Amino acid sequence: MRHDRKDLPEIADEYVLGLLEPSAQAEVEAAMERDAALRAAVAASRERFLPLDTAVEPAAVDEGLWGRIEAALPTAPAIPAGRSVSAGSSPSSNDNRPRAWRATALSALAASLLLAVGLAWSLTRTVEPLVIAVLLNETGEAQAVVEDFGNDTAKVRLLNEFAVPADKTIQVWTLPSREMGPVSLGLVRGSQSAVLQAPALPRPRRDQLYELTLEQAGGSPTGRPTGPILAKGFARRPL
Amino acid sequence: MNVMQAQMDDLGPDLAACARGDRNGLKRIFDGEAGRLIAIAERIVRRRDLAEEVVQEAFLRIWTSAHQYTPERGSARGWITAIVRNRALNLLRDGKREDLVADDRLEALLDTDQFEKIMASWHRLDQDSRLRDCLGALDETKRRGILMAYVGGYSHGEIAGRLRVPLGTTKSWIRRGLTALRECMA
Repeated sequence: MRHDRKDLPEIADEYVLGLLEPSAQAEVEAAMERDAALRAAVAASRERFLPLDTAVEPAAVDEGLWGRIEAALPTAPAIPAGRSVSAGSSPSSNDNRPRAWRATALSALAASLLLAVGLAWSLTRTVEPLVIAVLLNETGEAQAVVEDFGNDTAKVRLLNEFAVPADKTIQVWTLPSREMGPVSLGLVRGSQSAVLQAPALPRPRRDQLYELTLEQAGGSPTGRPTGPILAKGFARRPL
Repeated sequence: MNVMQAQMDDLGPDLAACARGDRNGLKRIFDGEAGRLIAIAERIVRRRDLAEEVVQEAFLRIWTSAHQYTPERGSARGWITAIVRNRALNLLRDGKREDLVADDRLEALLDTDQFEKIMASWHRLDQDSRLRDCLGALDETKRRGILMAYVGGYSHGEIAGRLRVPLGTTKSWIRRGLTALRECMA
């Protein structure tokens, strides 16, 4: 969004009031993360209007509501980084076991926020991706955004510095279908964002799995992911 | 932030507890705030069951995002409230409001009730509230537009339709109203 700095309070007010178009709203949310002045303007606007919310007559709270919230909370919020995803099973197993990733699934809300970042990023492109996936680590922190254009091109943007040893590389995978199994989209050089020339694959769809693994330099020798999963996420269609 | 607001902002330590993974922090926020948050969401989504759904999702988000909160983002109460407001607004944008205002008569009924709730939110402000005075200083149409947007979650188009004013005019009135409000409260 092109705007004058003097317009920040106005943009902040319209954002806080919910008056922005969804795309502009997403852009503000993304910009807020890196722009302290915008963040301050939004904070000031929220505080200005907050009394309208604090003065409301509280509603009666359904007795079961807390129980439903608590039941849906992710378990231990901090799983030590680098822990084997498939602890307890065969060492090369990389079958995306649900248990270790449950916390991730429950962080869908965090992902949707980051999805806004991905959308804002994509809004500046002329070619629209068919799907965007925000990849999260085990603790639910966003690590990368993959945009799949469906024409054998995908872009991966890293949101976190990965420590990649000299003899390793980050490999990007997707799972077009159970039958096909995981397919490599390509390698990320060093820890840079990359444009990948992927093999011809079925048109990417919503909820398609994307993931990053740490493989030996040159990529997985088996053509299937063998190393630890760094991040994974499910595709969404941009609006 | 003035002294009164600072005193009101007692939720920072509870958010910090959430960020450490302490569920008691989240429970304290729930116990103190849930009734208010449901009421805020209900003013926007206009149905209790949807409002509860919004608050349930918002609490999960508070839990997973608590580590991102810093006082630089405003008061903890404002931050928590913003999460609920955003969930409620997104629910509207996903089109659920269409489900609940399917026919015009129902919408008219809801609107009358809704309109009273929205204006009540202004009257309920403290007598010595700056916001109350500054809203009072605006023309009635600007005040209504701003309250319909903030309290009721109405879009520019919905406000224009209900106030029977062209869309472009509505946008510029609201923008001018917001500018006047900022100047008045500065």
